[in-house]
Amino acid sequence: MADIHQFFQQLINGVALGGVYALIALGYTMVYGIIELINFAHGDVYTLGSFFSLSILGLIPLSHIASGPALGLIALVVILAAALLCGIVGVLVERLAYRRLRNAPRLAPLITAIGVSLILENIMQLWKGNSEVPFPQFLPDRWHIVGGVKFDDRAVLVVAVSVAFMIALNLFVFRTRLGKAMRATAQDRDAAQLMGININSTIAWTFFIGSALAGVAGFISGMYYGTTFFLNGYQAGLKAFTAAVLGGIGNITGAMLGGFLIGIVEAMTSQYISDQWTSVVVFSILILILVFRPSGLLGEQVPEKV
Amino acid sequence: MQPPIRVRFTAFVGAVFLAALGSAACSRGTGGSSSANGGPASGTVIKSGVDLPLSGSDASDGVPTENGAKLAVIDANKQHLMAGYTFVADVLDDAVNGVHSPNQGAKNIQSFASDGAVLGVVGPFNSNVAKAEIPLSNNLGLALISPATTNPDLTKGPPALQLRTTNPSSITFFRVCATDDIQGPAGADYAGKVLKLRRAYLLDDNETYGRGVSDQWARQFIADGGSVVGHDHITKGQQDFHALLTRAGGLHPDVVFYGGTTSTGGGLVRKQMADSGLGGTAYFGADGIRNDEFLKVAGTSASDVYATVAAINADKLAAAKTFLSEYQDQFHQPVGSYSANAYAATMVVVHAIVDAAKAAGGKMPDRAAVLEKLKTTKGFPSIIGSFSFDRNGDTTNKIISIYEAKNGAWMFLTQQNYAK
Amino acid sequence: MLGGALRRRVRWLPFGLSDAPLSRLLVGVAVVIVLAMIPMLDRNSSHISAFADTGYVMILAFGLNIIVGYTGLLALGFAAFFAIGSYTYAFLASPQYGVHLSFWPMLLVSAAVAAIFGLLLGAPTLRLRGDYLAIVTLGFGEIVPQVFQNLDKYTGGPDGIAGIDQPRLFGYAFGFNPTPYYYLYFVIIVICLVLLNNLRNSRVGRTWMAIREDELAAEHMGINTTSAKLLAFSLGSAFAGVAGVIYAAKLSTVSPSGFDFNTSVMILAAIVLGGMGNLIGVLFGSAIIGLLNFFVLPQSSNWAHSLGTALHMDFLQGVDLNAYRFMIYGIILVLVMLFRPEGLVPSAARRAELHAEQEAGAGIALQEQAEFGADIP
Repeated sequence: MADIHQFFQQLINGVALGGVYALIALGYTMVYGIIELINFAHGDVYTLGSFFSLSILGLIPLSHIASGPALGLIALVVILAAALLCGIVGVLVERLAYRRLRNAPRLAPLITAIGVSLILENIMQLWKGNSEVPFPQFLPDRWHIVGGVKFDDRAVLVVAVSVAFMIALNLFVFRTRLGKAMRATAQDRDAAQLMGININSTIAWTFFIGSALAGVAGFISGMYYGTTFFLNGYQAGLKAFTAAVLGGIGNITGAMLGGFLIGIVEAMTSQYISDQWTSVVVFSILILILVFRPSGLLGEQVPEKV
Repeated sequence: MQPPIRVRFTAFVGAVFLAALGSAACSRGTGGSSSANGGPASGTVIKSGVDLPLSGSDASDGVPTENGAKLAVIDANKQHLMAGYTFVADVLDDAVNGVHSPNQGAKNIQSFASDGAVLGVVGPFNSNVAKAEIPLSNNLGLALISPATTNPDLTKGPPALQLRTTNPSSITFFRVCATDDIQGPAGADYAGKVLKLRRAYLLDDNETYGRGVSDQWARQFIADGGSVVGHDHITKGQQDFHALLTRAGGLHPDVVFYGGTTSTGGGLVRKQMADSGLGGTAYFGADGIRNDEFLKVAGTSASDVYATVAAINADKLAAAKTFLSEYQDQFHQPVGSYSANAYAATMVVVHAIVDAAKAAGGKMPDRAAVLEKLKTTKGFPSIIGSFSFDRNGDTTNKIISIYEAKNGAWMFLTQQNYAK
Repeated sequence: MLGGALRRRVRWLPFGLSDAPLSRLLVGVAVVIVLAMIPMLDRNSSHISAFADTGYVMILAFGLNIIVGYTGLLALGFAAFFAIGSYTYAFLASPQYGVHLSFWPMLLVSAAVAAIFGLLLGAPTLRLRGDYLAIVTLGFGEIVPQVFQNLDKYTGGPDGIAGIDQPRLFGYAFGFNPTPYYYLYFVIIVICLVLLNNLRNSRVGRTWMAIREDELAAEHMGINTTSAKLLAFSLGSAFAGVAGVIYAAKLSTVSPSGFDFNTSVMILAAIVLGGMGNLIGVLFGSAIIGLLNFFVLPQSSNWAHSLGTALHMDFLQGVDLNAYRFMIYGIILVLVMLFRPEGLVPSAARRAELHAEQEAGAGIALQEQAEFGADIP
């Protein structure tokens, strides 16, 4: 019985971690879907989200606010503000660093993206220093026990927020005009343009939404771990990218599925193999998927454009 | 196409020449980084190198230790130990991206060695850094005096012999702190006999120090009648310990021992223990976590936490009164676990230099002479008590002190001298 | 007259120097002499050590240039092969296993081991699209140091291996003195330059560049692109293996932290800055990045501190330009890619390719804006 409890306990750990990965993976997959760029700086936008949240929280006199609903409202405001700021950063990065290279050889914007990533990391290091930064734990923390499996409010928060934003994104992409424009641009940029879609603004919106989701992930990971660090985005970004590839890059549902799967794989590796080997296992999955099924779990087999 | 090629070639040559000239010019300038000497330098400068981790998570260990070394240099100059000479602390950081790095430490020693005015080096702080530095120090004949590295293999037995690659018989590495074969068991005794803990889960950062101290701790903990329910390693830079700690929780320990430093994850592990149902479990560590960074990272989880330090608590010493008040006046910061040790280590170097100079008739001594004086240090009176170096370079003063984290501060519990 | 005579004798010189006017030849000779004399001009051993360390950046850049510059395959985890070279030497020439093989043959052994790993990684992955390949190599670059870190029974874990043997030549021990390493790098770099220059103009070199320009066309011309790409990948990795041996020997210690993504980025920045595909450009770029990393940044903090002391400006005392290192790499990568994608010293073909595409791209973009300006999302 104990083993079964451990398994479900780890499942919860994995799903919570996976929620964060999934939110980041969405940004990778949307940007890749529309301009076929691996936005290497995306992981750092996620860390930036936790840093923005931290600064906004610093402006609020938390100790004077005790009641539950007010705290919930604060959390919502901080999430939205961090998402907005990250979205703006994403748009700026696209405008300044990627747009000029849209028709350049593919490697050019990828190298630029690595450069942007390094710049963002260094800015964050100068901003908050190169050690762990504590994240205020202002939400009340209650424990729940369901069938012998224990989890706290923060795990619930992570999963609830990430799932809510994923549903919102799905509605947006499949139910709005802008979402339609995005899908059209992703499918065939030239044809979309002929149909009167403003390509530049559609791509800018894609960056905005992807980066905003990374900002949300930054906030919830700060709440979940209680600390943040300027280099967190590098590993988290790579793992989220792995999630996007696993799900089928360019596929929004795939990114969510991949995110949760990678989170669960990590937790289970830790339980049944060894915690030390989690990164190796995840990156081996990345390599194996790319070699044997580059289209991922949900992606379609697309021949290479020549 | 001809002109551009010529232009680029000329530019290339010009750049090379500029680089060559620039380097030749600055080699004549005074090198060295931040230095403290207490007043304007007068006379010939003699340097004591200081190699510590000074940035990022390790800074809360490194900076108070650096302060101790700087204060010793200031005092040495005040006392006019050597007429016509001024002592300077030449400080280098061995942390890269905020964590101590063996490679950087080795580079720092090379850079000290290239400066003829450096006659000895105080440092390093971390055992794996020492492991990379000792072969260099042995080869270059440059004395290395550590205030805080505790791994026994650095000085004792066949492993230490392997580090002295050039002259296996020559000791160039000394330390003024006790070692983990004493620190680990002392902590385990406290956990088993005083706190009555019985089931330990071990976690280490897989570094020289962390692995060593957790093995030593575990051996004594078992000897005292306790049991070890599991042992895992964590990875530097890891953020998420929920899965690992959930697994540990399934083993029902009543204490988690962490071998490692705050910078390799000690604070994060404690903080996330509460999320994984281990909030009520005691946390035991060694000198790697007894720092302010741990309190900052662990936040409200920094309670029911115990840590040993392989040095005396200077607060309890009459000889250290002046040191403590001067330290406050000079730096306005709390004293660290190894500040007093760094002061003592620097004083040992300074006195070895002074003695060697006396033997050389008041001239600036060479590194070999300083090393000889260090090897024969006997009954050196210091603020941490009188000590000698044994034939391995270890101090004869083997004191372990024990602390508990409570209400956002480290409280002193007890200490004991293990000198035979 | 004299020029003609000289030229006839030096047919073997690289970079078309054999056909160059006498002035260029003399300039080249002067450069070599000045570089060879640096340890005599500057006797500060930490400076010489910094110049010597620039050597491994150069060798790594040569290797990566074969893969990225010549063949157009983006490899992001290049430090993995550097690590494999270093650890191969560390295993076979240290107290770790009590094996002490000689340094000189190990240069070739490590090169071969790195090349084999290059083959093993390349064989299944080289058919992937450019950016997928980049990510696979990045994943490999993450895995290799992790494996060295986790297999602590065999590799010394995060502490790595200390006490690595240092080279001896005719009874002369290199030890920790940077000067012999400087000359060793010097000689190896000159050998690399001659080798690579010949290689580039050989059949293999032209094959690589054909693949870079248009893989499909190259394949239709009857080129076996897979084996050519594999060759580029393993040969590039072999360079990293050689660099790893000298690096490990000079420092006498290796640890996994020395081979992370930052090292890969440093090498990439070097070849991007100098000009991918051009040997002189790569040499120039890696010299700039190496000196920046090992010499200018550490020294400039000292200069700022001295200036602060002299001018009594306290804020200068606290300046640590090392903290801006990655910002500087990042800015180099972004600015070069945006404004001079062919690098500082471009190869003619690469420049033509990049500019033609960009101009065409810009033209289309302008046209697009004119015709489809309306915002209809």
